[in-house]
Amino acid sequence: MTNKSDLLAELQLAVIEGDGEHAKAMAQKCLEAGIAPTEAVEVGLRDGLRIVGEKFEKLELYLPDMIMAAEAGNEVMQVLEPAMGASGQQATSPGAVIVGAAKGDIHTIGKNILTMLLRLAGFQVHDLGEDVSATTFLEKAKSLKADIIAISALMTSTMPGQREVINLLKDVKERDKYKVMVGGAPVTQQWADQIGADGYSETAAGAVTLALKLMSKK
Amino acid sequence: MIDFFEVIKRALNGPYYSEQDFTLKILVPKLRAVTKKYGIRCDQSTPIPSDDKLADDVFHAGVELAAEVGCYCKDTSRVIRFTADEIQEALRDAPSTPFFGEGRDRKAMLARKPESSDPPYCYVGAGGSVVSSDQVFVRLVEGYGRNPLSDSITCPALTKINGMEIVAGSPLELLACIRAVELGRAALRRAQRPGLPIMNSIATGVTATGKIGGSAFGLRDTDCWVVGFTSPLKVQFGRLNEVAYIIARGGQLVGEAGEPMGGFAGGPEGNAVISVVYHILSILVLRSSVHLTFPMDFRYGCNTSWEIMWPISVAAQAICRNSHHPILNLAYTAAGPMTEMCLYEIAATMTNFVASGGNIEFGGVAKGTSLDRLTPLEPRFATEVAHAAAGLSRVQANEIVKTLIARYKDSLANPPKGKTFQECYDWDSIQPCQEYLDLYGRIKDELAGFGLKFK
Repeated sequence: MTNKSDLLAELQLAVIEGDGEHAKAMAQKCLEAGIAPTEAVEVGLRDGLRIVGEKFEKLELYLPDMIMAAEAGNEVMQVLEPAMGASGQQATSPGAVIVGAAKGDIHTIGKNILTMLLRLAGFQVHDLGEDVSATTFLEKAKSLKADIIAISALMTSTMPGQREVINLLKDVKERDKYKVMVGGAPVTQQWADQIGADGYSETAAGAVTLALKLMSKK
Repeated sequence: MIDFFEVIKRALNGPYYSEQDFTLKILVPKLRAVTKKYGIRCDQSTPIPSDDKLADDVFHAGVELAAEVGCYCKDTSRVIRFTADEIQEALRDAPSTPFFGEGRDRKAMLARKPESSDPPYCYVGAGGSVVSSDQVFVRLVEGYGRNPLSDSITCPALTKINGMEIVAGSPLELLACIRAVELGRAALRRAQRPGLPIMNSIATGVTATGKIGGSAFGLRDTDCWVVGFTSPLKVQFGRLNEVAYIIARGGQLVGEAGEPMGGFAGGPEGNAVISVVYHILSILVLRSSVHLTFPMDFRYGCNTSWEIMWPISVAAQAICRNSHHPILNLAYTAAGPMTEMCLYEIAATMTNFVASGGNIEFGGVAKGTSLDRLTPLEPRFATEVAHAAAGLSRVQANEIVKTLIARYKDSLANPPKGKTFQECYDWDSIQPCQEYLDLYGRIKDELAGFGLKFK
């Protein structure tokens, strides 16, 4: 008979390989074997997604693989979440993040990578896309109950769009409600300090660490 | 070749896909399938392979993929598709020897071949990097113009106008575009090379409005524009509006694409194949005179890492062996001016580009994003290495590149930022300081020992 650790390992592998159908079946098998749904989430799902993120950083897996792994993770949660609810447990997420490229900026690849890495780290991520106005950031932060607003800019002339979001938050007296992270090739810590952002990261992987750190301060 | 009106018609009426479906259900599986079908495998121990069959397989895979996938128009969510016959016709009819510049500085860009002894066309300067003031802009461009090996210029981007921060899409952007053209022309006159072409139109501009409006204030039809795709295989109306305008005024353009390795195209094999697809779409969709390719290593924000050398080389070889439409390769270094690492990175990329068949654009110093962290000496060094590398075999180039990368690969994650233009140069004479000249001379001597024959 397959033991619990084998089942969790197989679930983890299915997530890493982005095989949603198999991952979902394995999640069901884990429950049937008496594994607590929270353990299945932590070991089978979260650790699997973490490994995917690490492999991406080493160029052993690529962006489509990350997306498929995240989608497999969603399939797994369809099985595990109701089971957690039934047993009075809840899936824990580090927080909710809205991500977007600043007003006027049409570059998306760095933002897309960040979105996927945040999802793999368990954040609830809402990607607002490119060329996002300050008012859209504000409205979506409210409606989606975001903890963090993450704004990318790949051009110096679109960096002011990051400051515009922070200024708008101040103007409507909502600045304290959200942590604001900024990034993008021309963005620096100095710029982040100058505009009053809560954090800056040069890399997408560093931005995930930063998001976790910011959540611990909330 | 089908005309631009037909391209727009397809952008408006082609098959509908959501952006995600186009990327994940069409592009990714077809790219993986075609890469597998042609048996394309990366050998990371050989950053510059000498395998003609591999290069040709990559080209054929790219041609096949271009016909299967096409180009996604983000504004209409429609796919601009081309048949295999239309692609072959485009490769047959594509421009092959465009001329740029005026008077003494008018020059043709050749479609080179791997290992060719033809000197590469050198399109050099700032690579669109950012500067703090009009004064820095003018002195840099004058410095670029004074390099006798500069065939055309890439101007920097202004970040302020009259002390005000430039905001994309605002009137300040348009005013700054006008200013940038005026400054670029004036600087090249000061360099005694008034006919030297500005090849990146207006790097200060983000929108079509800014670039088109600014161009009326001194950009010539013997200059050139750079118009780019969005990754992966996507285009926007803003860029197509620029194309429509450039065609109507009889201008020329460089079609550019920089696919990040590890992104939607996957690893080195997929990255090489998609570069061929961009080459084809550059001819058909952007109506390019030249194609510019700059695959990037997103981890470091540059394209000088060991891992990115193979797809750059193989894609260049594939295109140069099978297409007469000339290509440029653009380099971004991780390190900044007046550092050993920066010069090693430049030498490695230039050697790779030239031996693999490309012409050169240089470039982005310190990732092309650090204010004023660029000088005229890096592009001068790049042109000298590029000329010295012409005629090297791929085997020779491979050994040189491996030696050079070994010297800086461990510093890519935390590269030295180097000095600013103001710190490296005498402001009045626009000459490098002795410390930088000594470093430059020492590295050139070292490279000569590796077999690069400086003129």
